[in-house]
Amino acid sequence: MTRLAWRVTLAILILGGPAACNRDASTATRGAPRVAFVMKTLNHPFFLDMQRGAQEAADRAGLQLVVQAAEREIDVEKQMQIIENLLQTGIKVLIVTPSGSREIASAIVKANRAEVPVILVDTRVDPKAAADNHLRIASFIGSDNYEGGRLAGEHLAKSTGGKAHVAVLEGIPGHETGDSRLRGFRDALQKHPGMSIVASQPANWERDQGFTVFQNMLQAHADIDALFACSDLMALGAVEAIAAAGRSGRIRVVGFDALDDARRAIAAGQMEASMAQSPRDMGRLAVEAAARLLKAEPVPPDQTVPIELVTKGS
Amino acid sequence: MTAHLLRARATRQLGTFAGLVALSVVLWAATPHFLTVSNLLNVLEQTSINAIVAVGMTFVIVSGGIDLSVGSILALSGIALARSLEAGLPAPLAIGIALVTGLMCGVGNGLLVTYGRLPSFIATLGMMSIARGGALMAAEGRPISGFSEGFRALATARAAMIPAPVIITGVIYLVAHFVLSRTVFGRATYAIGGNEEAARLSGIQVRFHKTLIYGVAGLTSAAAAAILTARLNSAQPTAGTNYELDAIAATVIGGTSLLGGEGTLLGALIGALVMGVLRNGLNLLNVSSFFQQVVIGTVIIVAVLIDMGLKRGRR
Repeated sequence: MTRLAWRVTLAILILGGPAACNRDASTATRGAPRVAFVMKTLNHPFFLDMQRGAQEAADRAGLQLVVQAAEREIDVEKQMQIIENLLQTGIKVLIVTPSGSREIASAIVKANRAEVPVILVDTRVDPKAAADNHLRIASFIGSDNYEGGRLAGEHLAKSTGGKAHVAVLEGIPGHETGDSRLRGFRDALQKHPGMSIVASQPANWERDQGFTVFQNMLQAHADIDALFACSDLMALGAVEAIAAAGRSGRIRVVGFDALDDARRAIAAGQMEASMAQSPRDMGRLAVEAAARLLKAEPVPPDQTVPIELVTKGS
Repeated sequence: MTAHLLRARATRQLGTFAGLVALSVVLWAATPHFLTVSNLLNVLEQTSINAIVAVGMTFVIVSGGIDLSVGSILALSGIALARSLEAGLPAPLAIGIALVTGLMCGVGNGLLVTYGRLPSFIATLGMMSIARGGALMAAEGRPISGFSEGFRALATARAAMIPAPVIITGVIYLVAHFVLSRTVFGRATYAIGGNEEAARLSGIQVRFHKTLIYGVAGLTSAAAAAILTARLNSAQPTAGTNYELDAIAATVIGGTSLLGGEGTLLGALIGALVMGVLRNGLNLLNVSSFFQQVVIGTVIIVAVLIDMGLKRGRR
């Protein structure tokens, strides 16, 4: 019997604590419609900026915003579980940045069945998966990643005089976001016969993998003089690898996302450029669209947030 | 086995079960969304994959070993399944191929541990990397998706409201419980974990049984892979990462000792449910995803601490 008492006390301590805190925090917006924002991850500055933009918009619109994310960005199953769980709590709108553009379909089916409108941010659902499952998506908000990749390619072609041995660090294979950037970049380089891609490998969006993969690339191809990384984290990892190889300043690195760290690296001349997305605007637009849906007002099915080139001069 | 020991084992399960009930009571008090039929079915469905992987893990841990490769084997079996479906094979055959893939990987682990005399930690650590690499190669690094309605029924079908994965999990547990508690193989598993040398001297074919035990772990990972693939309508070479840790956690929360020789499947099932209910509840309560990890880690440590304290107290 003492054991039972033990466990009950412990469970109350462990669970009751956060539960109590949570109740206090939510009193301000209690009764307000709940909007859920399920992110890919919360340990990335990009998504933290998005969260900030979303929270600001929710405060203005008087909505209660619930933000959750899986522990790991690529964990599509955990993201689905979170969505299933939140659908149980009577949310009015579901905003998602899908961890997988095909896998998300099963979760959207469940939201559709519960009659909860779905807004996608950053990553589109795969068109075939959407058609196969008859998905209803109220709105998509994201960057034009293809255009960003194309701009990055054009910039590299211009700054190298149209002649370079180019390496590419890809994101997780099969991710629509990274694939679009890659396609845009490759299409831009095709117009410049002097630009050849000598190596192209995934570093799974991660900084440490960007370091090791690019280190290996430098071993295999000593002639690399330009790098396009599909994200800044990978680019920053590669910058470290370049420094370790004693070749700082001799390889032009173009990243994507224009993170603060990347902006500093650009100012210091370690990186050449990055493509600035506006995650904060995306978060804001998503919540504003949710607010309009709640008032039964029409929302645009597709909103693109512009991408800008960030260089030392700009 | 003496009556005293039997009673001790039963009370331990009762303790874990009481923990699960207490957890549920707290959640019921904290949020109106927890104790609804649809949410409870939701939790059961979400728990099924970890629960199935924990079946094989229980066999391995009871025998005194550990299996770090179950998550990777899950990924490889899932890709084998997806490739077979892609090639147009009927779903039952494709599932059969996935199960054989998992079984082979598990038997490979078993042979390395028995005939190769490798510690299970090392053998399965190697297999963890081999199976993951194999999955990535076979899938060319990309997820494979878009399967027939018939195959997806494995995750989407319902019988009297109960989701198919829950029913499959129930059947697997019934069969595995019978095997572990009522057959020669099951008794050999406990005996090997209790004292391998003594088991050998008493005439148990230790190598044969141990190889089979790792085979069971591979097989249950493959069964979980089939459900996961149907659920997501996609097989991913990166699927199942860290699932070995969830399965180990479920097993030890359920009172199975990492030293081997004791533990039950009922305990593993309750352990998996504790983890599932906890994750679900923390989502319902909108606890930050960072703090959720702290809570889950704390629960694992506390559950085992209590268990150890009780064992010491009983002696």
